[in-house]
Amino acid sequence: MSHWEPKIVSFLCNWCSYGAADLAGVSRMEYPPNIRVIRIPCTGRMSAKFILAAFRQGADGVWVSG
Amino acid sequence: MISPKLVEVGRHINIELMTCSEVESVEGESGNFEVTLVNHPRYIDLAKCTGCGECALHCPVTAVDSFNMGLDDRKATYIDYAQAVPLAFTIDTDTCIGCGKCETKCMAQAIRFDDKERKTTLNVGSIILSPGSQGFDPSGLEYLGYGKYANVITSLEFERILSASGPYSGHLMRPLDRREPAKIAWFQCIGSRDLSEGANKYCSSVCCMYAIKESVIAKEHAGSDLDCAIFYMDMRTPGKDFEKYYNDARDKHGIRFIKSRVHTIDPVPGTGDLEVRYVTDGGEMNSEIFNLVVLSVGLQTSPDVIRLANRLGIELTRGNFCKTETFEPVATSKQGIFVCGAFQGPKDIPQSVVDSSAAAAAAGEILSTARNTLTRSKEIVPEINVINERPRIGVFVCRCGINIAGVVDVPSVTEYAATLPYVDFATENLYTCSQDTQEIITQIIKEKNLNRVVVASCTPKTHEALFQETLINAGLNKYLFEMCNIRNQDSWVHKNNPELATEKAKDLVRMSVTRVALMEPLKEAELEVNQTTMVLGGGISGMAAARSLARQGYETHIIEKSDRLGGQALNLFQTPEGEDIREKVSLYIDDINNNEKIHVHLNTTITRVDGFVGNFESELYSKNEKQILKHGVAVLATGASELKPVEYNYGKDPRIITNLDLDKKFIQKDPMLKNLTSAVFIQCVGSREPQRPYCSRVCCAHSIQSALELKRRHPDLNVFILYRDIRTYGEHEYLYQKARKTGIIFIKFSLDNKPEVTLQEDQLRVGVRDHILNRPLEISADLVILASAIVPNGDEKLANFFKVPTNNDGFFVEKHAKLGPSEFATDGVFLCGLAHYPKPIDESIAQGLAAASRAVTLLSRKNIFMSGTVAMTDPAYCSSCGVCISICPYSAPSFIPDDDRFFPGRAQINPVLCKGCGLCVASCRSGAIHLKGFDNDQIFAQIFSVNEVI
Amino acid sequence: MGIEPGRLHFSWISSAESTKFVDVVNDVTAGVKALGPNKTFLKTEAKVA
Ligand SMILES: Cc1cc2nc3c(=O)[nH]c(=O)nc-3n(C[C@H](O)[C@H](O)[C@H](O)COP(=O)(O)OP(=O)(O)OC[C@H]3O[C@@H](n4cnc5c(N)ncnc54)[C@H](O)[C@@H]3O)c2cc1C
Ligand code: SF4
Ligand code: SF4
Repeated sequence: MSHWEPKIVSFLCNWCSYGAADLAGVSRMEYPPNIRVIRIPCTGRMSAKFILAAFRQGADGVWVSG
Repeated sequence: MISPKLVEVGRHINIELMTCSEVESVEGESGNFEVTLVNHPRYIDLAKCTGCGECALHCPVTAVDSFNMGLDDRKATYIDYAQAVPLAFTIDTDTCIGCGKCETKCMAQAIRFDDKERKTTLNVGSIILSPGSQGFDPSGLEYLGYGKYANVITSLEFERILSASGPYSGHLMRPLDRREPAKIAWFQCIGSRDLSEGANKYCSSVCCMYAIKESVIAKEHAGSDLDCAIFYMDMRTPGKDFEKYYNDARDKHGIRFIKSRVHTIDPVPGTGDLEVRYVTDGGEMNSEIFNLVVLSVGLQTSPDVIRLANRLGIELTRGNFCKTETFEPVATSKQGIFVCGAFQGPKDIPQSVVDSSAAAAAAGEILSTARNTLTRSKEIVPEINVINERPRIGVFVCRCGINIAGVVDVPSVTEYAATLPYVDFATENLYTCSQDTQEIITQIIKEKNLNRVVVASCTPKTHEALFQETLINAGLNKYLFEMCNIRNQDSWVHKNNPELATEKAKDLVRMSVTRVALMEPLKEAELEVNQTTMVLGGGISGMAAARSLARQGYETHIIEKSDRLGGQALNLFQTPEGEDIREKVSLYIDDINNNEKIHVHLNTTITRVDGFVGNFESELYSKNEKQILKHGVAVLATGASELKPVEYNYGKDPRIITNLDLDKKFIQKDPMLKNLTSAVFIQCVGSREPQRPYCSRVCCAHSIQSALELKRRHPDLNVFILYRDIRTYGEHEYLYQKARKTGIIFIKFSLDNKPEVTLQEDQLRVGVRDHILNRPLEISADLVILASAIVPNGDEKLANFFKVPTNNDGFFVEKHAKLGPSEFATDGVFLCGLAHYPKPIDESIAQGLAAASRAVTLLSRKNIFMSGTVAMTDPAYCSSCGVCISICPYSAPSFIPDDDRFFPGRAQINPVLCKGCGLCVASCRSGAIHLKGFDNDQIFAQIFSVNEVI
Repeated sequence: MGIEPGRLHFSWISSAESTKFVDVVNDVTAGVKALGPNKTFLKTEAKVA
């Protein structure tokens, strides 16, 4: 397990955090490659079911960002 | 924040962007101009450049970055900033050494070293000038030491330092030694309100507000220990919500505001710090040491623009701004040529955006007969029915030159994609977004009979619409598409980790493929827009909106509560230029009455509004009669009135009056104005107080103008103006300077030491504490004029009718202060004039035109399509709890009427009003609401495929 | 429910705050890494497969 890399399911709001993620790319910043982004129309769309489903599916972390 | 606007302009099929071009000459007349343009060479082919940045990466030259105000460097091939539109590079010939490296590196083959200057001519009906302004260069003001001391910088340089994409990546540092400053000073009015040679006399309007903003942001970046001091003459924050921002900066953020003009700055040897010496309000000499000094430089028209104006024969003002009339605020002195933004006068973004819509309306009035004759529209390809077909997915993986392929192993991702369930086809492209690739994709979709598409490339924010259009051209519903972000959120940010980046790309592609397999074609609700318009309120802004709508061909109804048109403007005496306002307003009213397309309903109010954008039904009520008006859009121009003061003994003596009372006396030639020896104006009556924390914007200039009028009639009269800050922003400043020269006496007071008006045996006395002498003064007066606040007329009922919000002060809240100042978040409803915020006549008219312009963008489409990603209820599951109805910010859900045949009392969602935010979906406890395109299945599919569970 | 609090993160970032975005990604990743692989609440079939 020395090379274990966690998978973090990330729910990003289309208007806010998703934009920030794009901008981070444009600015060529670097960050760890562990997040898997799911674009949602707004954090209002979030539901606890999604978070639980992600963990059930073996996600090591979940990050919700508006 | 402006990036969506940039992209919209760039993509609009009826806007042609001509960059690197300058107007050489204009011939002809309104309706038929011939414009000659000089197109400077860019040396890079716009049609081919993808903005990848490969050229700049290999350019050996280091040049100064002028976008970052010279605080940073860049290459000879460059782009000003990452969100630029068009996103294409330019070669700077001043620094390029012609090595040709970029030519060999550019995979898109966009480099054109042989590009030459060209000339083009355009035939146009009207012209809008928006050349803006430039920052004042403070090098000429020697006492400031700008250019001599590295830590004296301009506010524009400071903006770049604060910016995340700026020279220090948003880290607050000073230029000299890149140390974090602990104390920063801002000096206001640099190059503005300055009578000396080389500076400008007018007020630049924007610098007080931006200095406050910069200081607050600086504190946010550096923490609350940072000491920020703003040295000012008057704090001018007369815009909507500005006063509150100013109060918070002082009270919550601890920004220090020091009323003083600094006269000496000395460097502290060996430290890079600066010693600032100033005289306090009380007359004491003081000195303080700062680590960084920011000069709040003003705005001015650039010499290039002055030359352009001269070439076009356009008149300028004293301050070199474009000359306009109060009642025609966006028309230049030349017919058919209009102006907007900071060239019309120094102004901020919200005001510039209002102007630009207004100029578009004015230009549109001339062009209305030619509307839609030269516009291009899209061809419609019939849609293929894919329902009940097994998904056949095509995956296109983009190399983006080496932007993606340099990090992510694109062939292996493509290979992997081909193995995924339902994927029938997978390929890679050099640039998936290029024009020729679009044609190839269309062909492949047809050939392979694909019914779902995934593009793995950059971000959907900029490119989704482009690819969706390709789908439409291939006959596929545009919602059968998914974009997968393997550039901005993968290759660009994981440069040093290609293996994991490839892994991530595969995961993302898999997630997208599973999701797109479940996508269904969505229908966009189509809606016919009723071409009749309704303007509520017949003041000057409402009339301006109505006249523009009618001139652009739309039947317009003005609903006015009182028995006459004109509103507040009828109570005013003169414009600053000395024109008779009532005379001008009556000309305007004649114009309205003579226009066949305008129907005026006096003594009328509305009692009910049904429907939504495109199809409103309002009930008009007058003289006990009711009538229904059907209209497509509504403009709310219900105005505001002068507050009846409750202080300073108002109402107790006929000599204590308000500004409007005085105007009435001027208009009626009241004999009382004949024998005066002393008049006192008191400012900010009811404004800028805890219970009404906004500035009423017009009263400073109004009082000064009235004071000058009194002084003109009786040169010996003693006139006093008691004020808190004089806010004669922009070129109103000339009035203030004239008043001082004429001998009007200005005395400053503070909120905790307000003047007192007393009545002693028929003698009026005003007591005030003189700020400078710091002792009480008593003035005996024949006339006391109170500059009373402006309070909105708009009532709660009206706001509810149209489902639009009002703020704490009772003014309507626009969609967005900068991006949508003349419209509401509710589609099809617009606003203008005093109902939005206090403003002078010219600004009210400009906003009236702006509201008309925004309305026309909707009306001219005749049919509107709403987004397909909307929520939908399944009434069989609905428990009629009503949570969705109360939670939706756009009032889209409602109960099905009780007398309906199917599912009475259950919830339904109007797809026209729904914005697809999904709030109701998450709130519904019965699981009865689905969000098309982002339904549970689709999101779960993505979650389930995060890990490979096959 | 057996999920360590450190595995679930919430944040609010505006579209201009790319620096903050990167900071949060770093924090979240570091937080999750410190906890090691998720062993609770897995779908049972997943283990079988
Ligand atoms: C005290 C004061 C001093 C001013 N001083 C100056 C100055 O010196 N210089 C300057 O340029 N500008 C000045 N102004 C501003 C100027 O008057 C306005 O910019 C301009 O007149 C605003 O026009 P409007 O159409 O927005 O509003 P208004 O003129 O207020 O018109 C609104 C109209 O809507 C009607 N209405 C309201 N509610 C309803 C309803 N529910 N249904 C139907 N009709 C309705 C009203 O009867 C009114 O006719 C001043 C304003 C005030 C109040
Ligand atoms: S008073 Fe006017 S010129 Fe002076 S800083 Fe404020 S806005 Fe700028
Ligand atoms: S008098 Fe009016 S314009 Fe001047 S500062 Fe006070 S509220 Fe603002």
